[in-house]
This record gives sequence, C-alpha cells and structure tokens, in this order.
Amino acid sequence: MRDFRIRPGVRRLFGLPLSSHARARADADAELHAFIDAQIEHLISRGLSVDAAREQALRNLGAPLHDIRQDLQHSVTQREDRMQRRERLDDWMQDVRYAARALRRAPAFTAVVVLTLGVAIGATTAIFSALDALILRPLPYREPDRLMHVSLTTPDLPTRKGTDDGVWSYPKYLMFRQAQTVFDDVALYSEAQFNISTGPAGEAERVRGEWITRGYLPTLGISVERGRNFSASDDHPDAPRETIISEALWQRRFAADPAIVGRVIDVNREPFTVIGVMPAGFGGLWGSGDVFLPITALPAPALDQPASHSYEMVARRKVGITETQARKAVTILGAQIDRTFPDKRFTKPMGAAARPLDDARVAPAVKRSVVVLFGAVAFVLLIACVNVANLLVGRAESRRREIAIRLAIGAGRGRLVRLLLIESLLLAISGGALGVAVAWLGVQALAAANPAAVQMRAGVIGLGIIGLDSIHLDMQALRFIAGITLSVGIVFGLAPAINATNPSLIGALKSARGEREGRGLRGRWLLVVTEVALSIVLLAGSGLMIRSLTKLIEIDPGFDGTNVLTARLALPGGSIKRDSLPLFYTQLLDRVSGLPGVTAASLGDSPPLAGTNSYTKISLMDRPAVDFSLMPSVSVVWATASWFDVLRVPLRSGRIFASTDRVGAPSVVLVSEAAARRFWPGENPIGKRVAIGMGGFDEAHGGAEVIGVVGDVHTRPDSLPGPTLYLSYAQSPQSRMILFIRTAVEPTPLTAPLRAAIHDLAPAYPLYDVQTMATRTATATAAARFSSGLLGLFSIIALALAAVGIYGVMAVLVGQRTKEIGIRMAVGADARAIVAMVVGQGLRVAAIGTTVGLVFAIVLTRFLRTLLFEVSITDPPTYVFATLVFAAAAALASWIPARRAARVDPLATLKTD
Amino acid sequence: MALIRGTLDVLVLKTLSWTPMHAFEIIAWLSERSDGQLDVDGPALIQALHRMEEKKLVAGEWGTTKNGRRARYYRMTTDGRAHLRAESAQLAADTGTLMSILGAKRS
Repeated sequence: MRDFRIRPGVRRLFGLPLSSHARARADADAELHAFIDAQIEHLISRGLSVDAAREQALRNLGAPLHDIRQDLQHSVTQREDRMQRRERLDDWMQDVRYAARALRRAPAFTAVVVLTLGVAIGATTAIFSALDALILRPLPYREPDRLMHVSLTTPDLPTRKGTDDGVWSYPKYLMFRQAQTVFDDVALYSEAQFNISTGPAGEAERVRGEWITRGYLPTLGISVERGRNFSASDDHPDAPRETIISEALWQRRFAADPAIVGRVIDVNREPFTVIGVMPAGFGGLWGSGDVFLPITALPAPALDQPASHSYEMVARRKVGITETQARKAVTILGAQIDRTFPDKRFTKPMGAAARPLDDARVAPAVKRSVVVLFGAVAFVLLIACVNVANLLVGRAESRRREIAIRLAIGAGRGRLVRLLLIESLLLAISGGALGVAVAWLGVQALAAANPAAVQMRAGVIGLGIIGLDSIHLDMQALRFIAGITLSVGIVFGLAPAINATNPSLIGALKSARGEREGRGLRGRWLLVVTEVALSIVLLAGSGLMIRSLTKLIEIDPGFDGTNVLTARLALPGGSIKRDSLPLFYTQLLDRVSGLPGVTAASLGDSPPLAGTNSYTKISLMDRPAVDFSLMPSVSVVWATASWFDVLRVPLRSGRIFASTDRVGAPSVVLVSEAAARRFWPGENPIGKRVAIGMGGFDEAHGGAEVIGVVGDVHTRPDSLPGPTLYLSYAQSPQSRMILFIRTAVEPTPLTAPLRAAIHDLAPAYPLYDVQTMATRTATATAAARFSSGLLGLFSIIALALAAVGIYGVMAVLVGQRTKEIGIRMAVGADARAIVAMVVGQGLRVAAIGTTVGLVFAIVLTRFLRTLLFEVSITDPPTYVFATLVFAAAAALASWIPARRAARVDPLATLKTD
Repeated sequence: MALIRGTLDVLVLKTLSWTPMHAFEIIAWLSERSDGQLDVDGPALIQALHRMEEKKLVAGEWGTTKNGRRARYYRMTTDGRAHLRAESAQLAADTGTLMSILGAKRS
C-alpha cells in the first residue's frame, strides 16, 4: 500500500488522475485498523494480554467489525464522489475565470466577435420572425389548412393579362354554393367603410367593416362572443337589418355595454340591430373591421347582377377532400358558371380557381420584400460566421507560441483544448445574449414600423390580420440561428486549438514564424476573400434594390404636396341627390376657402400615390372602333379645377375645367401627358373626343372632348404613371371625395377649424382620415423606404464585417513581416513605400474577393430582376459604387496596420528574435 | 456521559488545537480530560473526522506513531480554528441560557 496521499491541489496542478474509490476504501480500512491497533497497544500497556486486549478493543467498537467497516467504506465512497464532483467544478470555474481574463486582455477582439455574433443572430432572428409572421405561421383560425380562397378567373386579353384572383358576384356565388360538394361551407366577404352613429343625436363616425354572408364565421371557425351569428332567415334581401360589431368597437363606442345585443345603431343612416359581438382581436379577413353587415342588406342591384363582381370568397374544405380535388372541382364549376352567366366582354371563357387561403395572406409585394430582406440578412449571417471564424483562427494562430510553452511545461493537451473551448463558449454565450437583445429590439422596431399594414391601408391586397404587428420574437428561429452561429464559433475556435496543441511542439517553439503559420495565413486569406465576395454580392444586390426604391421615391411625383391638408368626407350614396351635389361642392369649397390660412381648396376622388383611383376602358372616337377587349385601360380621377392649382400639377396645353363645364354643358376631359403620348403620339390631343366607360361619358352619351393636357402625377408608389384622365366633379357628380386644401403655412393646425366648418355645413357627414399630403406620401412609400433602409443597414454591417476581416489578417501579416519591413527600411525604403506595400497587399486580396463577388452578384441578382424598377440587374453605377466602396474599405482596413508597419524601428526589429 | 448533539465537532477541534493527533489519541485525550467521563465511540469519531475533513475543518495525513506504526493524523485548519471559536462561543452562550433556566428558583 502506498504510504502517501497527494492533496487534491497538487493533483490538480500536475494533472494526475484523481484517487479512485478503491484507494479511498483501502485508506479508510487502514485507518480503522490503525485505530484498533492503537487501542490494543494502549490496553496492552495497561497490562492486558495480547488476546484479551484484542478482544476488549473489538468489543469497544460497539458493533461487529464487519458492519463498521461496511459503514465506513460506504460513507467514504460517497465522500469521494462529492469531492470529485467539486474538484471538477473547481477546475471548470478556474478555466472559465482564466478564459474570461484572457478575453478581457484582448478587448478589441472580444468586442468585435461578440458584436458580430450579436448583430448577426439578432438581425437574422428579427427578419425571420417577420418572415414567420407574414408567410410561415398558420392563420389564426380553426384548422387553417382546410381554408381556401376561391376566385373567378378572367382570360388573358391582348392589352391586359388575365387575373386569377377575380372577385365574385352574388348570383354566381349562389350558383357555386348550390352546386359545390367539396366544401363544408363557402362565404363571401367584402371590405367597406360605414358611417355609424347611435341615434339621431349621436356623433357620426367612419369605421371599416365588411359585408359578409352567413357562412363567413362558421367557415373561419369563429363563433360570436355575445349574441349570435346571422341566421338563415337573414340570408334574403327582406331580412331584418342586423349587424355584428367588433369587440374593439363594443369597448370603445359602447363602453362594453353588457346589454349591447338588441341595441339599434345607425349604419349609413339606416337602423341596424346589434345581434352579436365578435371575439376579441377578430376584425374580419380584411383586418380592423368594426361593423359586419349581411350582404343581403345591400341594395338589390348589388345582389342580382351577375356581372356585379365585388366579393371575395373563402371556403372550408371538407375533411377527406384534398387540395387538388378541391381545385379540380372548382375549375369544373367555374366552367359551368361561365356557361350560365356568359360575359360578352370576353372571347374566351371565364373560370374559377381555388388556392389555399394561406397563399392569399400577404400582398405579393410585401411577401417579396420580406423574402429579399431575409435573403440579405442570411448573407449577413454568412459573412458574420466567416468573420468570426477568421477572427478565431487568427487568435489561435497568434497564440500558437503561448500554447506551445504551456504544453512544454506540462499542461495537459485535453485541458488546453478545454480552455480554448471555454473561451469560444464564453464568446458564443455573450454573442448569443447580445443577439437575443438585438432580436428583441428588431422585432419591436418591425412591429412598430409595420410596413405590411401600411401597404394594406394603401389598398394593396392581402389579409389584414397578417400585419407585422402580429410578429413576435420567434424563439425557435432564435434557437436555430444561435445554434448555427455558435457552432461556427465553437468549430472554428476548437479546430485551430486542437491543431495548435498538436504535440509536435518543438517546431513551434523553435520559431513562431514557421511554415505552419504561412499555411494558416493562406487559410485566412481564403476566408477574407470569401467574406469580401459575399459582401460584394450583398452590397450589389442591396445597391440595386436601393437604387430602384429611391428611383421610385425620389422621382418627381408630379405634384407638390407641401402645405397641403387632405381629409375625406363621406356622403353615403343617395344622401344628397346627384343633381344637388355640384351646389353642395360649391358651398363646401367656399366655406373651406374662407378659413383663415387657406389659400385654395379643391376636391379629388383619390390621393396621388395611393393606388386607389378607378380604372376604366376608353375608346378613341376618331379611330375605328375596336373590340372591348382591345380598348385601352386608363386611370380615372375626379377633380375640381382648383385641384391642379392646389397640388401644383402643371397645365401643359389647353385649359383646365371652367365654371361653365357643368352638368348639361358639353362634356370635357383633361388628359395626362402619358395619355397624350400614348394615344395621340405626334398629334395635338386638344379637341379629340374619347368615350370613357365611367362618369356618364360613354359612347352612348357622345363621349367627351379633350380640353387640356396636364403633367403626369404618380398614382402608385411602385410604378411609373400610366395614362390618366381627369373628370370634373361639376360635370360628373361623385359622392366620393377628398378635400385637398393648400395653406400658407404647415397645415396641421387647420384640422380643428376645418372640422368645425364641415360640422356646421353638413353635421351628418363625418370628416375623417385627415392627413397632410406629406404624411400620405410618406405612408405610400413607407414599405419601400423601410425595405431600402434595412437593406442599406445590412450592407453597412456586411461592409464593416469584411473590413474587420481584412484588418485582422493585415494586422497579423504586418506583425509577421516586422523583421522584413525592418530590413527594407534599413536598406532605404521610406515609410510611404512601406505603407504602399502593405495597403497594396490588402487591396489585392480585396480585388480578388471583389472579382469573385461581382461574378456571383451578376448571377444571383437575376432573382431580383422582377423586383427592380427602372434599374437593370447589371446597372453599372451600382457595381462601380460597390467596388469603390469596397476598395475604400479595404484600403482603410489595411492602412491602419500599414501605418504601424511604417513606424517600425529597423534597429529594434533586427535585434529581436 | 452522552454528548449533546453537535458538540463532538467542537470537542475534536479543541483537542486538535493542541497538536495533530490520530483518532485513538483524540479519544484518549478526551477521556483523560474528562476523567473518563467522556467515552467517544471510535468508529463514530472516524466518521466525524472524515466529515470535518470534507468540510475542510481538519486535514488528514498519514504519519507514523512514536511506536513506529502507521496512523492517520488530523490537523486543525484555519477554517477549523475559526469554526471552533465561533462554535464554542455559541455553546457557552447556549449553556448559559440553559443553566439560567434550570437554575431559576421559584419566587
């Protein structure tokens, strides 16, 4: 038996194996026997015989020796376990403390790695959360995968592509519902805005809502919280006037009145009985609806005309019917519907198509921009991983000597690898923690900005319920992305560590600048080239997107919206007789113009850039008649003469509407420059006649005469202005109108007096949606600005990461070449030559990376082609810019170590090493 | 005399405050000091020593007795000294309280 026991501290110091249980037990045995022997000796010294002393000693134990031994060994084994655990924990804690100290000693390295990890993890998670909310997450309805969006399809026309998301008319819906067998239920819904008030004295309020059929709620699997759904008897035109209101409206307008069911409210000046309240958070498929009315309450023409298409259809597939079966059935039914209700406008048949409701959830534009953003952020993540790998490899390289020394003085290889692993883990955990914070902030920012909702308001289709405000931090994504990034950190922290602790340490000790380092550096150059190439791809892609978006935003929109206040005034159909409308407009504009600060007031039916204006077909009456399907389509805007003045839309030729252009006088129309170019190229459009499919200017009424050409005004934020025709309110009275008011100064303070004036003139008609034109413009371009802002941010991050990568390698390189630089300077090279040499090397690497990156960029940006507006995917300025930015970044990143190199004292470097 | 719970550690530490001892020496010392009144169970003492060693109150090391036998000697550590000071003060206070109750006369 060994006669010594090494103290745990010593054991730890020399990395000896821990004592085994067996030895602990043997120790305990020996101790017990020594005790007994000592007692025997003591008893013998008292005069007992050897045998009697032994007997006495064993008796004194109080229990059989065997039992006592077992007890003792048991407790010793347990103690040994406890001590080993504690010792291991102590070891780890010591390593953690050591690693933390080592990282604190390299603050720049630590900060860059942690920031890189944090930003990459955070940004990717935030964007992925948006992707999840907008595209991936199931719809918040019962068994959402059974829900389908059914639409009518129109065939392609020579002038216009056919659609596959056309809306339904009520008769077609009735036929479809009767005939179909694949759905449990089908329902129509259609977005609308309503004026509601509570009794004659109550203040009128404009709210959003939907016209729905009885099957709407059961189809979605929504049950009315208080009260009931529309009943079967509500499903015909003479049904009692009933409405279901949103929980939000119930809270806000009715103070959560428990007796709300049965109350009568005025909707568009007609009494409706509230029969139910929707569950909290449900605002219809269009989102934020407050009032739901049965479609059957619409006036008859909206219900009995087969060609009156204005309702969306949602359907719930029967259990056991596959999506393909449903699609097939819908296609067959579509053909039947076309035979029953032939549409003479089309030479080819219309049809019907079904797609999962999930596909219809987000406007394609939003979907695309989210996917592009995710692509960009994935690049950032990739670059970040390469950068972290680069930094870690660099660090391991620079510590090769330190590690060799440790190995030489007897540190265990496993222990050293563990130490380096702990270092990587510490970095990873700090980076991950920062990543969670960045992701949380990012998600908050996205939810607050909510570009999807902005687009919804701007009239782009999609389900309103799927706003970015519904996004939350996606924990699964966070775990996944953190997992990837952290594994990169660990792998690249560990691989060089294992390599560096390779037992062939004599070489490393002999020279810190051996061949092995040269090889390591080549590996790092490769990483840097990769990083630069990835960044160039991202920079070029983002550059193209940003250029495209800024072109959209910063092009001359064709109007001047500064100091213009806009507000909508709702006149429900028929509330003022059509003949009396012109007089009402005159009174209204007179009243508003008289307000202090107002320099001009006008009416228009659709704000520029909002994409909400009407479209119709026109025919040029001086040309031979063409088939309806070949007739050109134009935007139609109703305006008063002063509208062009208020928005400063220039008159190019002819004249604006005059007071004599009223109902009964010869019909006149203004055309935009785009329309003039398109329809009368090389001709003077003034005096030409057009028949317009709207506003009472059709062929039968003799069309209208073009009296003037005005500048192009952008009707949508995402496309160039198309041909637009302007009709006069005075000649073609319209109840839909927006006030456009030019003021001498910032117009917001005018809101209150404006409200008062309107209330005075027409108390029953609420003024709503009061916004400055500047705000409207900002809203219309919000999504584009949001995307370009994020892309720009990602590019800057990528650029910074690549620059850090170049810097890191150049710094090591300069360190390694100190001696060479010293010699060069000793033989007469001046500081400038040294700087040029080092920077030149950095630029060469950047040039290789850039070339590779540009090739990939040209290949990859093909996927962006459909997203680009007026920018070619090989847009030279973008690529030149990306290259120059990179050259500058590379030059800066190598200039810093170059300057250090130039300060080398030749004498000192030659002496050392 | 039965030991009050928890006092064995203090007594052992007190014993070891003189000099490192092995288990039997501790028992002998305690017995001698108490005129044979304090009779500590050997195996229990060894367990107690192991427990105190784990708590770093004492440190054990193999050594040789004056008779040339191997024995495991225990030495009080700095922690042990602090523990002894704190515990004996506490014990004295407790005993004082106990005595004042037991010794109280009916008034």
